[in-house]
Amino acid sequence: MARPIEKTETKLLEKIKESLERLNEKMEVIIELQKSEQKESGAGAMPDLPETLDVMTLLSLPDHLRKTAISICKLGQATAEEVAEYSKRARAVESGYLNQLVLMGYLKKERRGRKAYFYVEK
Amino acid sequence: MGKIIAVHSYKGGTGKTLMSINLATAFVTRGKKVCLLDLDFRAPSLYAALKADGSEYWLNDYLNGVCEIKRVLIDSTEKSGLNGGRLLLGLANPNTEAIRDMTAKDRKWEMRALGRLLALKNSLLNDMELDYIIFDTSPGLQYSSINAIVSADIVLVVTTQDTSDILGTRRMIQELYDLFDKKAALLLNKTLLSTTSFEKEIKEIAIRYEKTYNLPVLQVIPCFCDVLKAGGTFIFAKEKPDHPFTKILEEITTKIEKMEKC
Repeated sequence: MARPIEKTETKLLEKIKESLERLNEKMEVIIELQKSEQKESGAGAMPDLPETLDVMTLLSLPDHLRKTAISICKLGQATAEEVAEYSKRARAVESGYLNQLVLMGYLKKERRGRKAYFYVEK
Repeated sequence: MGKIIAVHSYKGGTGKTLMSINLATAFVTRGKKVCLLDLDFRAPSLYAALKADGSEYWLNDYLNGVCEIKRVLIDSTEKSGLNGGRLLLGLANPNTEAIRDMTAKDRKWEMRALGRLLALKNSLLNDMELDYIIFDTSPGLQYSSINAIVSADIVLVVTTQDTSDILGTRRMIQELYDLFDKKAALLLNKTLLSTTSFEKEIKEIAIRYEKTYNLPVLQVIPCFCDVLKAGGTFIFAKEKPDHPFTKILEEITTKIEKMEKC
């Protein structure tokens, strides 16, 4: 017969889950950083990137990033989970795209407690 | 929740303002609460077309972050003699200096303007419980019109049979609406009909243009001499309830209501 899970064990499992989620987010940022570094070394120096997320910039973004960027414009500020709910794509996918937009200078990221919020700096 | 409809076109003079005013009126006579906003800051026209009283604030002020949207809106229901719903107007400032000011905005301002247009969903559709916001946009691909398109739920593209309009509209659909994944439909305005078998010709034209634009034709609107002669001096949807143009407007409003549900 299975032993009931103790309260302390549940807390421990929650902590492990939290740590894994944070680790996952950091990994996604590292992956995106590597991707942009590869692009930089492959295509010479990157030009100064505009930081303004206006409609003309939205038009110039690749389709997958445009969808994420528009979601943030419409939601104001949101977590990767909220953007995923809006765009009907997976949370991990949106998290990657959001971090890529942060690296490109179009979005800002702010951690509040356990959650990371993404927004356009006005 | 209500919807934002942007009335747009590639070229000027296709009938955007005429359609915007008449559609807003047709919706109000159906008991809807409508807010009609003039987003053509380079050539404001609602002010003159509706002989509206000025407000303390203009839409320019709202987008400049000077005031809330409620301070801009004018309740025109009574003055327009409309029954049923409610008609609110938001006017663009027609003064030359204001037009010059709006043409010299930078990208950062345009980004904030997009945020303010998107916020109308909350302030007007959610808080004030309006049924429709209609954007009368500026033609072509410029900041104010693209901001309006991005903020809208439905885009109505007013087009004519002019060759340069057809080519430009087709490119605009492919390079703008498709990229923003917009729910859009065509209003083929000022259509010249050559035969007496009206309905058959209208159907053929609709099929032909749907193929050309790869977009549904919401309505083929024949060129009515009465509409051209009126020169925007009165609103057909209100003054001429039995005119064929008004009947067509009623059909369009029904189709828009169906479009929302899709």
